[in-house]
Amino acid sequence: MIRIKDLVKTFDDSTVLDGVTLDVNAGEIVTVLGASGSGKSTLIRCINGLERPSGGTITVDGNDVTTKAGLAASRRISATVFQLFNLYPHMTALGNITLAPVEVLGKSKAEAEEQARALLAKVGLAGHADKYPQQLSGGQRQRVGICRALAMQPRYILLDEVTSALDPETTGEVLDILQKLATEATTMVFVTHEVAFARSISTRIVFMEAGKLLVDMPTEEFFAENGGLAVPRIRQFLSQIRKD
Amino acid sequence: MRVWRVIEPYIGFLLQGFALTIFACLLAIIGAVILGGIVASMRASQRSALRWVAHAYSDIFRNVPFLVQLFFLFYGLPELGIYIGAFETGVIALSLAGGAFVSDVILSGIRSIDRGVIEAARVSGLNDVKVFLRIVLPIALRVSVRPVGSVLINLVLTSSILSTITVNELTGVAKIVAAETFKPFEVYAVLLVLYASFTTALSLAIVAWHRRLNRFMTGA
Repeated sequence: MIRIKDLVKTFDDSTVLDGVTLDVNAGEIVTVLGASGSGKSTLIRCINGLERPSGGTITVDGNDVTTKAGLAASRRISATVFQLFNLYPHMTALGNITLAPVEVLGKSKAEAEEQARALLAKVGLAGHADKYPQQLSGGQRQRVGICRALAMQPRYILLDEVTSALDPETTGEVLDILQKLATEATTMVFVTHEVAFARSISTRIVFMEAGKLLVDMPTEEFFAENGGLAVPRIRQFLSQIRKD
Repeated sequence: MRVWRVIEPYIGFLLQGFALTIFACLLAIIGAVILGGIVASMRASQRSALRWVAHAYSDIFRNVPFLVQLFFLFYGLPELGIYIGAFETGVIALSLAGGAFVSDVILSGIRSIDRGVIEAARVSGLNDVKVFLRIVLPIALRVSVRPVGSVLINLVLTSSILSTITVNELTGVAKIVAAETFKPFEVYAVLLVLYASFTTALSLAIVAWHRRLNRFMTGA
């Protein structure tokens, strides 16, 4: 379980996260919605240790991510997929996927490669194992990014606007894969602007505004007239998105 | 041919000098690249003590004339009770001076790497040393191969200064031949061709290496 309590993050004199408390239980798919700059990505970056919280606590299965040992333990059981893919440009798809399983989990190269090929096949990239990121399209790169995360067999997957850099067609490719993952009971924290998709896969929706959690509701309730839609800010946000 | 008539009796001697130049330069290139890589990693380190030591080294060696560094080592080390040959001293001096410049170039390669790529490696659980060796250094080298090449070519040209500490490399033997024959023009014409062919071969090798490393990369 990911437990976030009273999380505060400030950069110089701006407060990006202002007392966020959130629990993500195993098997849940929690979508974080909110306008740009509301602190969604920073929330993910605090969970995976790329930003150090200014206050509050975060534990992943009891491992305190603000300690060195806790963060190392937490990174073995969680994985992140990034908006801009962040693939290693000097390694093939296979190399990208097998690096951490070999170096961090201590798997043999042969075992890691076999697993990587299976993952690539699963996302429809069986023939692309030996290609470099530069030789792949955006959608293909993000699918490799997802395989790289899955290769660590994580209990938790953090997805940070993973389709924001893709065109509508390739967005579909990536969302299909996430849909599959969702049915496999992987725990996910999903920062996105794809409201319709979020509605179809998440168990809970969290709405952030100016560094605070405005609401935290089961998905049906969030989209109900007397639930999330009753909150003026959320109604406004959703109608804005639909107009786009 | 006039040049050949002058040079012919000395060609073996000149080629010996050329071989010594090549040997000294190859050793110094290896030394400079390894040293440059280590110093660049220290300069990019989070630890201020490492950064300070690395900065002090690169600042000193970039800001003092090579001839002075060379004399300092050649005449200074024996004062400290360290006796090594002129050839060894020359290789060490070239490595130290070259390493300072190579570290500069590799450091700027490191700074040009997309932060996100490094973050992805960190988040995947790789420790700092592995992130550096598997991600940062290989990408930085790809970016830095060509400018490192310029530094190395300059290192070859600088090696002619080793003649001032009795190393009979190419320039050293040429001085002797010119003094014996009283035909400096012919001798230095040959020298010019030999240095140019060495540096040209080096730069072709660097271009090929750059192309190979970057075959599937653009922009990174």
